[in-house]
Amino acid sequence: MTEFLETTVDKFIFRVAKDCFYNSEGVWARMEDNQVMIGLSDFVQQRSGDVAFAEIKPEGTNLNFDDEVAVIETIKVDIAFSSPLSGTVVQVNPAMEEAPEVINEDPYGEGWMAVIQPDEWETDKARLLDPQQYFARMQVEAEEELAKGNE
Amino acid sequence: MQKEMSDLMKGNNKKKVLIVPCSGIGKTYGTVSREAAYEVVENVRPTRTQLVPLSLLVMGDENSRESVTQNPAVTIDGCKLACATKMVQESGGTVARDFAVLDVYRKHREYKPKGIAELNEGGVKLASVLAEEVAEVVDDLEINIHSDQDSEGGSNG
Repeated sequence: MTEFLETTVDKFIFRVAKDCFYNSEGVWARMEDNQVMIGLSDFVQQRSGDVAFAEIKPEGTNLNFDDEVAVIETIKVDIAFSSPLSGTVVQVNPAMEEAPEVINEDPYGEGWMAVIQPDEWETDKARLLDPQQYFARMQVEAEEELAKGNE
Repeated sequence: MQKEMSDLMKGNNKKKVLIVPCSGIGKTYGTVSREAAYEVVENVRPTRTQLVPLSLLVMGDENSRESVTQNPAVTIDGCKLACATKMVQESGGTVARDFAVLDVYRKHREYKPKGIAELNEGGVKLASVLAEEVAEVVDDLEINIHSDQDSEGGSNG
């Protein structure tokens, strides 16, 4: 059972899964059975809005750390996301094609984007933010968003 | 608008299908929902539909609230919050069909909407496609409304 760090900013509640590591864009990475599942953080999905389309790099794609791994189109923006690790895409969540709104509905669960066979997970992990670090960063970003909205 | 709503409630008009769009101001998808609603009530099915501004329901306008309890409503929501649908339900009305702009866009990715006060060409086309889909539902409801009214007439007569 995943546990979360949670904060409330204005009327929004944001959760950060404790069993993931994060890149600076809010892409989470979770090691499971020697493979790494990736997805978007709760903060990123709420800030980005309802997802209309999600295009994930296809199975077999070799990725370097920070290579583009996904592009999502929401009702607000089009955003490209970087891979939080190097490796090979071994599985893409079929829901990304058929019902990408699962990213909004369950960002740390059913809304996973892809599974990657890592090349050097321990090295890559050291470049990522742990849950506490991402939580702190996310709080700052959320407060900045709020301040922008109030300007 | 107020007079039409009042007439609707007093039975001066036949039962109509109410079109309730999103009230999201400053949001592209909200604008698409409203443009689609205007297209339906002004051009596509002007005699069979009636626009109900969501803001009136939110403010508790009596005429609007009563009209949604007496006529089927088709809601057009701009986002997953589904304010139009929820507000009709909270006002005691029946949502015959709820549309989400996002769902229609997913079927017509070539019509990417942009703009707020004024939609781009994609947005205008998306609103038009959405209006046609709403019109089809209105036609289906029209059949049901008439058969309801016929049966009411028969039982009274």
